[in-house]
Amino acid sequence: MELIVGGAYQGKTEYARRLFPDISWADGEDCSFEELCQCQGILKFHHYLERRMAAGESVADLAEILYQENPELVIVTDEIGCGIVPMDPFQREVREQTGRVCTALAGKASRVHRVICGIGTVIKG
Amino acid sequence: MIHLITGGSGSGKSVYAENWLIRQGGREACGKEKPFLYIATMRPFGQESRQKILRHRNQRAGKGFATLECYQDLEALEIPENAGILLECVMNLTANESYREDEKDAQEKGEDKVAEKVLEGIRHLSEHTAYLAVVTGQVDGDIDSYSEETRTYQKILGETNQKIGEMADQITEVVYGIPVPLKV
Repeated sequence: MELIVGGAYQGKTEYARRLFPDISWADGEDCSFEELCQCQGILKFHHYLERRMAAGESVADLAEILYQENPELVIVTDEIGCGIVPMDPFQREVREQTGRVCTALAGKASRVHRVICGIGTVIKG
Repeated sequence: MIHLITGGSGSGKSVYAENWLIRQGGREACGKEKPFLYIATMRPFGQESRQKILRHRNQRAGKGFATLECYQDLEALEIPENAGILLECVMNLTANESYREDEKDAQEKGEDKVAEKVLEGIRHLSEHTAYLAVVTGQVDGDIDSYSEETRTYQKILGETNQKIGEMADQITEVVYGIPVPLKV
């Protein structure tokens, strides 16, 4: 498993496509759980998490499940939680849980990249 | 020795800070007689903060921490002998000092006074321990669309973080659980 993180609009998708030119990508905006388990890479993973939470589902053990179902997955996700704590309780929950899930995934990943201004740095592996 | 630890929400800063203190070996050196002190600054206001406090308590359970609650006036806190101190966190402390019930708010009393008070508190802790881990965070990574009051808070926190950074021997940013060294 590999993780590519960074703030919004920093060139993560392009970096990921350059690094893994031949894999199939799912999109966190609309993919199902089945697609997530079958794809080789997922873009906008944080949107997938937010959709699950908006549907009232727990993502507490998603990192564990995903690692078992799709251990070679490449995950591209926004790094969030670096602004002011939101007023809306649901947004606060999304922010907290996204952090927890991504931290668990980063713990399992063999490599973690962080992209800033289009430049990727390997911070683990 | 001061270690400043920063990062986003839910990024694993606290666990990293706890484990850093344990790795310094202060507790082994004193025969485990002295505890690590955990200085909690979040007011238990509402269910969400109580749950957060409980999660952090469970996370530290069995690691040798004694908890001291201090919401403001950190510079006057009586500090028992210890094997190391973890201050959690500068963001709450700054907010508490900014919006004190017994004083005017930060905008009226002046931003510098808030920052100076927080820094004084941190200096006080560092004088009473061999190992001080200070947890803070980033609240500046977004568009500038907040109220004047919130922008004042961002400014105070940013400047306070810089000043603690000057005092610190080590600074680490935690990114989804991964330590990224900023000052070593």
